[in-house]
Parts: sequence; C-alpha cells; structure tokens
Amino acid sequence: LDIGSLANFNPAMVLLIVAFAAPSVVALFGALRPTWVPNVAIVMSALAFAVALWTYTRPDALVLEDWAPTWGMFFHLELDGLARMYALLATGIGLVVVVYASRYIPLHLQHAQRSAGEMARFFGFLLLFMASMVGLVMAQDMILIFLFWDLTAIASYFLIGYDRSEEESRSAAQMAILVTAISAVFLLIGAVMLEFEYGTFSLPEIIATGELRGNAAAAVLLVTLAALAKSAQVPMHFWLPRAMAAPTPVSAYLHSAAMVAAGVFLIGRFYPLIALSEMILNILLVIGYASMLVGGIIALTRNVLKQILAYSTISQYGYVVFMFGLGTDAGVAGATFYVLAHAIVKSALFLTAGAVTEATGKKTLADVGGLARSMPALAVGSGLAASGLIALPFTIGFFKDELFFAAESDRGPLFAVLAVIGAALTFAYITRFWLQTFMGPLRTEPRPISGYLVWPVVLLGIITAVGGFWTEPFVRIANAATSVSAMTDIHIKIAYHLDTRPENLMAVATWTLGTVIYLTRRSWWPLALGIAHLGERFGPSHMYYAGLNNLNEFSDKIHSIEVRDLRSRVATILLPAGVLVGIAVIVTPNSNSFEIGALEQGDLPIIAMLIATAVSAFVVVVVRDHFRIAIGLSSVGYSLAAVYAFMGAPNVTVVALVVETILSMFIIGMLVLMPRPILRFETQVRAEKRTIPRDAIIAGIAGLMAFFVAWGALSRPAPSTEVIDSFAVLTPAVHGKNIVTVILADFRGFDTMGEITVIALTLLGIISLLRSGRLR
Amino acid sequence: MPVREERHHGGMLQSIARILLVPGWIIAIAMMLKGYVDIGDGFSGGVIAALVVLLQGLAFGADELERIPASRFAPVLTIVGLALALGTVFAPLLFGKALFTHWPPMNEPATHFGALEFITPVLFDIGVFLVVYGFCVGAVVAVARAETRQARLRERARIQRRHDIERSIHTENPEVTS
Repeated sequence: LDIGSLANFNPAMVLLIVAFAAPSVVALFGALRPTWVPNVAIVMSALAFAVALWTYTRPDALVLEDWAPTWGMFFHLELDGLARMYALLATGIGLVVVVYASRYIPLHLQHAQRSAGEMARFFGFLLLFMASMVGLVMAQDMILIFLFWDLTAIASYFLIGYDRSEEESRSAAQMAILVTAISAVFLLIGAVMLEFEYGTFSLPEIIATGELRGNAAAAVLLVTLAALAKSAQVPMHFWLPRAMAAPTPVSAYLHSAAMVAAGVFLIGRFYPLIALSEMILNILLVIGYASMLVGGIIALTRNVLKQILAYSTISQYGYVVFMFGLGTDAGVAGATFYVLAHAIVKSALFLTAGAVTEATGKKTLADVGGLARSMPALAVGSGLAASGLIALPFTIGFFKDELFFAAESDRGPLFAVLAVIGAALTFAYITRFWLQTFMGPLRTEPRPISGYLVWPVVLLGIITAVGGFWTEPFVRIANAATSVSAMTDIHIKIAYHLDTRPENLMAVATWTLGTVIYLTRRSWWPLALGIAHLGERFGPSHMYYAGLNNLNEFSDKIHSIEVRDLRSRVATILLPAGVLVGIAVIVTPNSNSFEIGALEQGDLPIIAMLIATAVSAFVVVVVRDHFRIAIGLSSVGYSLAAVYAFMGAPNVTVVALVVETILSMFIIGMLVLMPRPILRFETQVRAEKRTIPRDAIIAGIAGLMAFFVAWGALSRPAPSTEVIDSFAVLTPAVHGKNIVTVILADFRGFDTMGEITVIALTLLGIISLLRSGRLR
Repeated sequence: MPVREERHHGGMLQSIARILLVPGWIIAIAMMLKGYVDIGDGFSGGVIAALVVLLQGLAFGADELERIPASRFAPVLTIVGLALALGTVFAPLLFGKALFTHWPPMNEPATHFGALEFITPVLFDIGVFLVVYGFCVGAVVAVARAETRQARLRERARIQRRHDIERSIHTENPEVTS
C-alpha cells in the first residue's frame, strides 16, 4: 500500500465509502459465511475508525456533486471539525461496541434459541447506523441531511426491534420510529421552508447570509424540534427508556454516541441559525433543564440497571441542550465537550450493565451487589467511567462539568444554582448505580464471562482516566467542532486550579449535595416515585398510547363499516369521492361556468354513442345474471371507445378498446373460476329494505358530483394549453409524429416509468400470493 | 385462461385462434415499433399481443398456455422489459446526462431502416410492451397454474379417501365405513 498516494484522495469521500462498505460487506458475509460475521464486523468498524482518525491528519475537505441541480439539491459533503468529532465518536464507540457484541450477540441468540444466521442482521444494521451517522455529520445539503437522518431512524428501528419475537421489543421499536420519524418530517418541512426563504438547500449558504429571513425562525424551530425528539428531550423522551428492550450493545451505541447524539449534532450544525433567535434559545434552555430534572429524578427511582442509564441519558443530553440554550461561546464549547466526554463514559456504563446481567442473569439493582470482589476489572473500568460521569477530578468528566459550571455561572446566580441541582442528581443516581452493583453484600454469584464483555469497559474507563491528565487531544477535537458551531475560532482551556473560582465551588457543592441526596434517599424516595408515577399516568407516554389506541380503534371502525358487504365497500369509495370532488368543485374559482353549448350536426354520432353508453350502464344495474353484467360493462367501455373515436382521439380509442377486451376476458375468466352454486345464490340476494334509501342517497351524491365535474370541465376550454402547444412544437424535433406516444415515452416518461414499475411489482405480488396461498 | 377440462372446445374457435396468432403478433409489434409516427404504442401493442396468446388458452385449454414459450416465460419477459425500460431511463447518467435524455438528441437525424427509426424512445416502448404483455399473460398463467395444482391436490385427496374407505371395508371396521 502506497501511503503517499492516499493523500490524493478526498478524505470526506474515503470516509463515506469506507463507512458504507462496512454494512455491505457484513451483509455479504451474512449470506456466504454467517459465522464469520462478528469478526468481519470488527475489522470493518476498525477500518472505519482508522479512517476517521486519519481524517484528523488531513485538511478540511469538500465533496460537491450535482444531484438534482434544477431543484437546488447537491450532493454536498464537508469534512469539518464538527463532522470529524461526531464521525470519530460514531466509529470509535462503534468499534468498541462491535467488539463487545461479537461475544454478546452469539450468547444472546443462544439464550433465545435463535440461529446464528441472525447475527448478520444485528451487525449489518449497527454498521448501517454507523455509516448513516458518518454521512449525516458531513452532509451540508439539507435534503441530504434529512435522508441520512431518516436512514439512522430506519436502522435504529431494526436494532431496537432486534428481538422481534418479544412483544415489548416490537412496540419499543415502533414507538422509537414513530417519535423520531414523525419528528423527522419537521426537519424536512423546516428544510423546505428555508429553501423557500433563501432559495437554496445548502446550509452553509444560508448561514453565510447571517440573518433569519421571513419565516426562517419558524423553520429553524421545526428543525430544532426534530433534533430534540431524536435526543430524547422532554416531552419527547418517553421512547428512550422503552428502547432499552433492545440488546445491550444496541443501547450502549444508540444512547451514548449515536442516535441521541445525532439530535444534539443537528443543533450544533444549525447552531449559527439557532443563535439568531432568542426564542429558540429560550426553548432550548427550558427543555434542556426540564430534561435534566425529569431524567435525573426518575433515574433515582429506577431499579432496572439499564433504565437508570436510560433516564440518565435523557438527563445528560438535557445538560447539552441547556448549554446550547445559553447562546454564548462558552455554552457551545461546553455542550460540544460534554457530548465527547459523555459518549465515552456512558457507553462504558451501558456495557457494564450488559456484562453484569450476562454474568448474574439479573437485571435489577436489588438483585445484584458486591460484584467488585469477583469482577474486579469490570468494577474498576466502570468505576472510572462512573467517576467520569459524576465529574470527579482526574477524569475527562471533571472538565465537562467545569465547562458546564463556568458557562452557567456566567449567566447569573440562578443558573449556577440550577446547574448544581441538576448535577447533584446525576451524582446521586450514578453513585447509587455503581455502589449497589459492586459494593455491599453479594446477592448473586456471577458466572465467569468472556473477556470481550469486560475489556471494552476497562478500555473506555482507562480513556476516561487518561483524559483527566492528557487533555490535549480531547481539547483539540472539541475546539475544532465548537469553532464550526460558534463560527469563530474557539480555544477552550482546561486545567486543574486549586482556588475558589466559581466552577470549583460549584463542583464541591455538587458532590456535597449529591452525597446528601444519596445518603438521605429513604426520606425523599416516595416523593420521587410519586413524580415518576404522575409522569406515567398523565405524561406524554400516556398520551402516546392513548393516541395510538384511539387511532387503531378509529381505523378498525372504518374498516368494519367498509367490509360489511359489497354495498358498503362500494359506498365507502363513492361517498368520500363524491364529497371530496364536491368540495373541490365548490372551492374552485370560476367553477360556476356551467354552460349549455350549441348542438351541432357533427355531434350526433357522439350523442348516439353516449346514449348507448347510458343504456348499457343502466342494463348493468338491472340484470342479475353475472355473465350479462359482464357483457353490459364491456359494452359501456366499447361505446365510450366509439365516443373517443368520433371525437378524433384514435390513440385513446385503441387503448380503450384493447383494455376493454382484456378486462372483459379477465372478468369472465373469474366468473368461470367461481363455484356455480355461489354465483346462483348471489343472483337471488335482494338488498335489505332499510338500506335502500341510504344507498340511494350515496349513489345520488356521487353521481351528481361526477355530473357537475364533467359539466364544469366540458364548459371550459382545457387549461394550460401552452404546455400542450409546446409539446406539439417539440414533437417533430424529437423524431415523433404521434404526440401521444411522444408524451408517454419522452416528455412525461417518468410517469410511464412509475406505472410500468407498479405493473411489474403487481405481477410479482400475484404470483407470490398464488404460490403461497390457496386460490379458493 | 383457466378452463375446465371437460369443456368442449369448438373447432371454429380453435381454427380462428390459430389463424390469428401470427398476424396478431405482427400487428402488435408494428403498433409498438411505429408508435412514434402512427397510432398505438407499447401499451396497446402489449395488450394485443397478450390477447392473441390468451385466445389460444381460451380455445385449446390452459395446458396450451404452458406449451407456448411466450406465455410460459411471461413473468420473465416482464422483468426483462422493466430492466430494458429502466436501463433506457438511467443509461444517460453514465454519460453525464440527466435521466431520460433520449438519443439521438433533438433536431439531429436518426438512422432509418425503412419506416423504423433507431431512437431510444422505441427501446423504452419495447420495455413497456414487454411489461404489459408479461403482466396480462403472466397473471392468467399464474391463476391457471394455481387452479391446476389445486385440482391435482383435490384428486389426490379423493383417491386417498377412497383408498382409506376400501381398506377399512377390507378390515371390516364398521365405525369408519359408516
């Protein structure tokens, strides 16, 4: 390998290609050699991580290709400091999690008696998530951002619902995708609104204008809401604790460095626009602090290991959002550094929870304890990570809280107090988590477990500790990222100071308050539990379920009306169609131009054929024998074809004729297949007396509306004749003489393409249904 | 067409079906190829081609459809047609052009072979022809196959039942025979 020639490649493109190669290669091995999948996944994620590291040796890079230039959309990637940091987190934590999962998932499948062939599905979607995250952080075109954003939602759906035989897991996956994908639509709407104001989808161009035009503030607010839902911020936080139904490596990845991080990444990416609006900053402050408090208080009351960490994640991302809301450079710097430090320590804690459950078979704090003696390495590794999260000195976590305290105390004493309260909650529940897991009496004797489940935790713990002394690399990574969000060169300085500056005092106050909260937990426990119950009873998750149930019941009701009998099936099509068309007729301007034109001699053949059509249509509703109905229907079609012919539309006539012929053939073929006694029975069925008036009204509405639409349309000359005229002019130029065919195959070819694709897929559907099911 | 085995197939229908097969196909193909200068297009051509093939099934029974390769492989033709059409749509990307850019370009002369012009819209229309033809014939063949398979299963079940009854009579077990 010639290292020198690597320098010629565009690092942004290399990173994207390597990242997306990972899930593809895993899928390939999943088909060929399923047992190799974990190791292949390790190699591929290591490669992606190596490339992400390598990008730090390269200057910023740009990929700008035409995508749909006429719509202002470009394949626009930029490798900047922000992209590098999140790509490094996504691939680095991804690598650690994949190594851990390479032992965890085979055991997990074995416990559930599932085949090892399902491993590819896990690693494939995990790496697809990683790849879409890498794409997301580099994307600069808002539509591209949206695409990668939705790709992460899809991958997360399959990861959270990995245990598909478990009802809990399926509903958690459904909830996660409903919350994050519905909110993703806000991102799309925001992007389109911004394009409307600025005339471009390119985020850097919009940011370069330095102002919020027109409705841009509302658009940015929508984007921010999408980000907050993804980061599981109050009140859209309820999906995250439920998502703990996923296997532990999924939680460790999605809820530390990937999915929830995507939310705050988006805030960081749009920050130059967000910072222009005082309103959005205030919303961030409120939502961020509410998440800190709600997450912290509920985390105190949880007993399931992973649930504590889930609520902790809500709370920690609350810190980040809270800091972004300050609107100061210090706030942005603190938020960015916080994401970096938090990802490392939180993934270690999730992996610890998984290792503890694997070793003891227990999932709750009450069932574990005293594990430090039998699992010293895990205890030390997770202990370091926990100290990082509660910001003890000599860990990278200490500095994240120092920056947090510094940024908050700048704003005023109130914010300083709020910050200390929030951080003290974190101190209390993480202390409880670690002490009750590893200290105290031994409750369950652990089985020995694979080193792959322990050493990743130890490694992350060591990184946490090393970061407490050797801060240089972390500071560089965070500085580069912050400078993108804040749009100025930011140089945060972090060091230990033995003096009484506010952040030191706040840290001491936090540890003291946190210790007090932990030690007095018996006294406030009922209160916190009460708050948690209140949230469950009346909170957003309750509204989610109520909404989902009501929607389900509504759709069931409509469905049962629809399928009751043939008449109700027809009515459910005719009535809404009639009403909707009626509304359209009423609201259309100039719709009252209903004229009765003059009758000319040349129209007589048309009139005659129309009468024939009407007579055949009438025959269809009067006769009872199925074969006659079929013949009547086809004569309706043939007479209409004749009308087209008299109107001088030979192409339409030909299509109408052939379609009518083959349809009649199909209908009669179907009648042949039906059992004779059923057909005979059906001819004798009479409509119920009491439904006749209702049916008549529905038919009347639908018929009248169709009549008025046809009348209104025929009274007016066809609109948009310029388009038709330009087609007529262009037709000879593109080697055609038949304008209809040219429109179908050239001018409006995309429509035809869509239609034939649907036809081919329908055929596939018919064949597979007939292969697997019974004909009757 | 799914047709009952015991039905009598008229000699007249059979002769007409056979006579129409080749001319029908010629008309269908001509309609498709000349669609750019005359009435018709890939869609009508495809339906007409399907009609004459289905007429064979109507006249000679469903087994005839299995004998004619053009109907046996109808689903394959659909896929081929879709690939051809989509290929025509996406191929310009390879040359740095927008989707659906046809060749030769506007106002440039096209190569002729008689009335037939060698232009990419015709390729696209051939794709449409094959998709439509494959759908119409393929759907009917699929139904006919399912019907035959079920008839076979029913027949086997009937034989099995009679076999069981005969055996039970043989072993003189009154419970089963009743």
